[in-house]
Amino acid sequence: MTIWVLIKSLIIGGLVGFGIGAGAARMYHIPKTQGMGAFRTLGELNACQGDPASHFSFGLGVFFNAWANAVAGGALTGDVGHRIIPNWAAAILLLKGKDPETTLHNPRKMAITGSIVGAFVVAFLNVTAASIPKSLQDVANEVLIPAADWFLNPVMPAIFLLAAIDGGRRTGIYGTLFGGLAHLVMGNAVPGIVLGILIGKGVDDTGWSKMSKIIFTAVVLLFILSGFFRGFDIEMIESLNMTVPNWLIGIHEIFGYEVK
Amino acid sequence: MENQINNEKLLKNDFWYADWSFPILTALLASGIFSGTHMYYVHGTGVFNEISILAMLKVGMEGGGYGAAAAFGASFLFARILEGSLVGILDVGGSMMTGIGIGVPALILATGFTLPLTSFPVALITGALLGLLIGFIIVTVRKFTVGQGGSTYGADILMGAGNQSGRFFGPLIIISACAASIPVGIGSILGALIFYAMDKPIIGGAILGAMFLGFFFPIA
Repeated sequence: MTIWVLIKSLIIGGLVGFGIGAGAARMYHIPKTQGMGAFRTLGELNACQGDPASHFSFGLGVFFNAWANAVAGGALTGDVGHRIIPNWAAAILLLKGKDPETTLHNPRKMAITGSIVGAFVVAFLNVTAASIPKSLQDVANEVLIPAADWFLNPVMPAIFLLAAIDGGRRTGIYGTLFGGLAHLVMGNAVPGIVLGILIGKGVDDTGWSKMSKIIFTAVVLLFILSGFFRGFDIEMIESLNMTVPNWLIGIHEIFGYEVK
Repeated sequence: MENQINNEKLLKNDFWYADWSFPILTALLASGIFSGTHMYYVHGTGVFNEISILAMLKVGMEGGGYGAAAAFGASFLFARILEGSLVGILDVGGSMMTGIGIGVPALILATGFTLPLTSFPVALITGALLGLLIGFIIVTVRKFTVGQGGSTYGADILMGAGNQSGRFFGPLIIISACAASIPVGIGSILGALIFYAMDKPIIGGAILGAMFLGFFFPIA
């Protein structure tokens, strides 16, 4: 049983690490190359400024929390893919060569190193049933979870919105509009601000071209759909002290959303 | 940025930078993430997501209906594919971990078809095919946007904002450590000071310092 967990984890970790590593390095070459990862991963990788010790300790800092989550819930949290694998792969590469441009920014090196790091990390997390020292687990939880929560909300929404406002009149308008709506509907403004910047800049650069219109329609559709599936329409009607019409409740029931 | 210009010639043909190779990378990643959900389904550990989101899939596995997990995961996947192709960074958390890892398995399980999640090889193949599809869609959308329009759709602004917000994380960790307990706070301050004095980013020192003192003075 355990041997199967080990073998599968090595394969899965290798695959995931390969994609994450290559994707992270490719993020440094946008917009010419399509990257894969997250803006916050890019920000955090940059925060460590190419210093192997910082990359390693940043990964280590979230590792114990990830371990606790794996032991407690069988979940390899977002930290594994967003932080541990890219930062540790970067740390290993930077030990050999000091220049981030030939190491961290190189998709081939990051993919191979990420694959090895991923295999080990995933295998380790999945196989170990042994718990980490409780005091370290507590410190990691007490320190990193609030910091990460603040980071995701409100630090990132605020900074992204400021960037949208500074980016020009249109990005400011659409960033504020969709960012605010996203925070209402999805609980975090960042996706909305990102889409707002995208529309604003797209219109700035190419005018109301066919593509701009398609994007705008898709974004509006996205808001309507995610609002509907999260029951935002119901909540809004209720919070305005109005009665929810029965036909609306009926439509929601078709899609399995229970209206209280 | 200079690096980008230097590499410009390479980008089109080099596997590691080209658009045509992107679906291969997404296929490998999706294969691993989908199989991670197989691991959870069979062995009870290994899904790539937060416990809170995993809880939605667990509700379904225990007979409570897959609707929530499927709707949540699928809408995330849609948004991230659109966003990813336009801004140049495919968000792995939303598209892969939540979309492929939670949403799609929920959709498949909701139909009563369990083979992709009970068999490891089938899981690997299912994930790879899904990833290939996602990568293909993104590269196709890209052709009609970034490749043609002459607009980067604000990718530079987003990069700047990403870098700016990353800088906040170090200070936030010190503040959080000081709110956790006195020894942990002191450890984090000292660690950050040492790293700052050594001209290193304070983030590493703040975490290591907090954990070091936290080991000797556990948080009550």
